[in-house]
Formats: sequence, structure tokens, C-alpha cells
Amino acid sequence: MIRRWRARNHAEREFERQALAYLEGLYNFAMALTRDRTEAEDLVQETYLRAFRGAAQKLPTGDVRAWLFTIMRNIWINDRRRKRRQPDTEELNAEEEDEGIGWRLLADERHRPDVVHEQNALGQEIRRAIESLPTVYREVIVLRFLEGFSYSQIAAIIGCPAGTVMSRISRARAELRKQLTLYRESVASPSSDTEGRTASGRIREAGETYG
Amino acid sequence: MGEHVVHLIELYLDEELQGEERRQVEMHIAECAECRARLEREQHFMALLAHARPLYDVPENVRRHIEQLWARPSGTRIRVFKWALGLATVILAAFVVRVLVHDNVRRSAVDRANHRSEFALLAADTHQRWVRGQLPLEIRSQSPEEISAWFADKVPFNLKLPSFRELSGQPKPYQLEGARLVGFKNDYAAYITYRMRNRPISLLVTSETVARPSGGEEIRSQGLVFHFEEINGWKVLTWSDRGLTYALVSDFEERGQASCMVCHPSASEQRKLEDLRR
Repeated sequence: MIRRWRARNHAEREFERQALAYLEGLYNFAMALTRDRTEAEDLVQETYLRAFRGAAQKLPTGDVRAWLFTIMRNIWINDRRRKRRQPDTEELNAEEEDEGIGWRLLADERHRPDVVHEQNALGQEIRRAIESLPTVYREVIVLRFLEGFSYSQIAAIIGCPAGTVMSRISRARAELRKQLTLYRESVASPSSDTEGRTASGRIREAGETYG
Repeated sequence: MGEHVVHLIELYLDEELQGEERRQVEMHIAECAECRARLEREQHFMALLAHARPLYDVPENVRRHIEQLWARPSGTRIRVFKWALGLATVILAAFVVRVLVHDNVRRSAVDRANHRSEFALLAADTHQRWVRGQLPLEIRSQSPEEISAWFADKVPFNLKLPSFRELSGQPKPYQLEGARLVGFKNDYAAYITYRMRNRPISLLVTSETVARPSGGEEIRSQGLVFHFEEINGWKVLTWSDRGLTYALVSDFEERGQASCMVCHPSASEQRKLEDLRR
């Protein structure tokens, strides 16, 4: 009995360590889904609240990280469905949102005082390119290229067949390259990164070949 | 270069090819300069993306909140505690059990002293988030019975919301909107929202063993001790009654006593709350 108790304690501590270690990735995924700081914060908090509530009943076995990302996406999907059912809610419908919002709108956002420039210029440019993509592309880009999930893990998280994930990642890649090339063209006065090269220059190195 | 080849290179880099397929792509890349160049560009592109991580920094307040969520003892910890207590009962004599109980009582007293006005602060913060539309309700209903039933298996105390008509027989001047759970210390607290004359009111309820009202201005009325605080412009009244601790938040005048209407609607009950007026 003591052995079981110790094992349970150890498993709880391990779960706590793992769950908290994924906070950054989950927050980034939440931002990719919502593109809104306040909504992302609520989404992250709700995800952890439900995860901890679930873990209190039964600790998850297997991949804790994928489990947390799945919880987050399910909450987000359900919340979107609920908002769409409310006629007075200002919510983009799927078609509008899936068109993406493009560079022009995002370029203006750079000058908003509430947008904190918390990263180097290159990071910001890539962030803006990702933000300009439709939701279906944003989520697979973040899950694959920033979080490093495999295609089958992504399929489980977003609840669709692996073949769909494969084609979606391929299209998302192409669309992201296109957006980075568009950005290159839109940058009037590029800023320098820590390595002395301009951020747009580094984008150009990649973008020229893909544009 | 065909789309199919580009796609295979992408799959190769994403480590989604195995066995013979992977070997064939490797052999082809070794021989084909065009594909090799494409592979290198793709690798560079992926490195750029990886370099950009994280795209967003986690706000400090979010990090703190998440860490606090886990710091609260969860159901599993409570179960573990029960196990330990059971084990002690079997193995040790009654004296040891008495020591454990004594220690628990002392620890609870220390906890209460350390978290004096935390409950009122949580109530005001939760209310503000709800008013700003940042906190979704988990159940929307105007029926006190339905909301009481929803809480039945979710909070470790009995909560029965009063039915207005049962109490007064008059038309209802407020609307019950809904409810949700809010994490607080040992477990979840019950959070219920109302509107009266389009003004938001919310009630946070937990067990008296988890939170005791304290701090702010003390007002004694009808055998109860109310604690009044103004937090971020919200009027917060906290009190304990029959094993439960309540925090009522509103923006009503004086000490917000008009919000007491949500549970004490009759004129005679309202008169009893006169002591809350300035």
C-alpha cells in the first residue's frame, strides 16, 4: 500500500512537472487559434483547469503534451460552436476566417500600442506571416514546425485523418512561403537582428527560393 | 521539379517516410543536384521557423495563475490524504490519530490566517472578468433548481439556491443568469451570476472550512458578521452562514446591500439588512 502511495505521489509530481513545462507551447497554440491575447489567456487557463480536474480523477497515461493540446483544441472548437449559435456574438464565420487576414491589416497592427514587440524582428515577421494564414493552416504550422508533433499526433489532436493532415501541412507550408515573400516585398525599412543581418534579409534568403 | 517530388522531400524532412521509401528518397537526393538544393532550402526554411520559437511570451500573470491552480490540492491529493489517514488508523493507536487531527486543525487555522481576504479578492477578480466577457459560464439557466442540481456533484458542499417565488410571491426584480466553477484552494467554489436592473451581480460560495470572511469593515447584523470591502470599484460583501462562506459582488450604492435581494427579496428581509446601510 505504501509502495502504491509513493508511486502515485511520484506520478503526480511528474505530471505537474510535465504539464507546467508545456505552458509556453500551449500559450503559443492558443494564440495561433485565437489571434487574441485575452482569449488566448482564457483558453490556456481553461485548458489547465480542465486538465487538472481530469488528472484529479485519473492521471493521464501516455503522451501528456498531446493530451493537453487536444484538450485545448476541443475547448476552442466547442467555444466557437457555442458563439456561432449566439446571434448577437461578433464572430467571424468559418468562411470569412478561413480566408486569413492578409498582410495589409497585420502591417497596421505593428504600430498598435498594445502589441508588445517581445521578440526579435525575424520572430515577429514569421509570427505575422503565420497570423495571416487561415486557421486550418495556422494550427498545423504551429503543431508541426514549432511544437514538432508528428503527422499522426496532429491528426489525433485536431481529430481528422492523417492524409488530411499531410495535405494540409503541405498547403500550409506553401502558403507560409508565399506570405513571407509578400512580406519581403512589403518591408520598407528592415530592422537588423542580433547576427547583423536584416530580418527581411534572412526571410529573403528563404523566400526568394520559394516565391 | 514535379509536385510529387517536392511532397516527398517534405515528408522526408518531416521524418514521415520509413524503410524503402526513405532509402529511395535518400538515394535520389544523393544523385540529383536539383533535389539536393531543394532539400537544403527546405531545411533552411524549417530552421527559420524553429528559430522563431516561441512566437509569443507567456504573460507572467498567466504563468502565476496556472502554477497556483496546481498548487491547490486536487481530488487525488485528498484521496491520498484519506489513504494515509486510513493507514494510520489501522497501524497506530488512537493517540496517534488524535495527534494527526490536532495537527490538521492547527494547520487549517494557520491557512485561514494566511489567506485572509483572498476569497474577497477572488470574488472581485472573477466578477470583473465575467463582466468584461472574459469568463464564460458553464451553465446558463434562470432556474435556481437546475443550477443547484448542476453543482450537486461538482462542489464538496450542499448548495441550494433559493427560489424567488417560493420566498416572496412577488414578481422577480432580478434575473438569474448562470453559473460556473472557480478554482479556490482545496477545491472548486460555486460561482453564480445575476442581473438586476441590467446591473451585474455575482455570488461566490465555498465551504466555511476553506474560507472565512475577514478584513475590511465589519458589520454585525441579524446574528451574522458581514465584511465589506471595495475592491477595484466593486462592492464586496463576505459572510459565513451555516457552514458556507459567501462573497457577493456588485456595483450597487453604499455597501452594495441592494444585491442581497438575490437571496432575500422580501421587504421584511430587506429591512433586516438595514444595518448594512451607511
